[in-house]
Amino acid sequence: MLDSQEIQKILPQRPPFLMIDRVLELEPGKKVVAVKNVSYNEEFFAGHFPGRPIMPGVLIIEAMAQAAIVLFYGYKNTEGKKLSYYLGSVKMRFLAPVFPGEQMKITVEPVKLMSRAAIVNAVARVDDKDVARGEIIISMKEIVDE
Amino acid sequence: MPDLESEIRSLIAEIIEREPGEIHPDAKFFEDLGVDSMMALEIMAAMEKKYKIAIPEEKLGQLTTLRETVAVAKQYLEEKEKNA
Repeated sequence: MLDSQEIQKILPQRPPFLMIDRVLELEPGKKVVAVKNVSYNEEFFAGHFPGRPIMPGVLIIEAMAQAAIVLFYGYKNTEGKKLSYYLGSVKMRFLAPVFPGEQMKITVEPVKLMSRAAIVNAVARVDDKDVARGEIIISMKEIVDE
Repeated sequence: MPDLESEIRSLIAEIIEREPGEIHPDAKFFEDLGVDSMMALEIMAAMEKKYKIAIPEEKLGQLTTLRETVAVAKQYLEEKEKNA
């Protein structure tokens, strides 16, 4: 299990754009289960939507992509390397809205892992009910300092 | 074996969002059809899934035209049959 501090050693993202709070399961290259606690305090709820807060689907995708980075990290051991990550493709179906106060559990499993890219299946669940599922491709590049 | 070329042509057409008719056997993916490296990766993964084969990463660079792609798929299909 990884806490937020440990997650931040892997992910380049930082609050307010850190979309996973905790990693519950990490089987390098095989499976990651991560948690995102959706709080009313999130700034985006002010606008999405006023008086009717709903977790933006694109941020659910972001949470999945961040979990995919963790999956890849465990597989490739990218420690010490400076990497930037890119989303290549997203095929996603949203099945139910996510509201403040709910906890999303995100599971990502690889379809194919390569040295600089990964295709993963991702599912987000709230109370064991699927709220989104689909396929994401991420790629990465090493950052070379000048 | 069913017509491998036409199967793979439709598979590629769906991924790169083109009409199958536009994908001539020797049209260059990158220059002529606007395929990028992510799409090439998707094509590879889609073939693996469809034909239940495993194509090594090094072969990605060989997916440059429909003809080449079919050749790669054929090679691993034949290997699969040999090992069956």
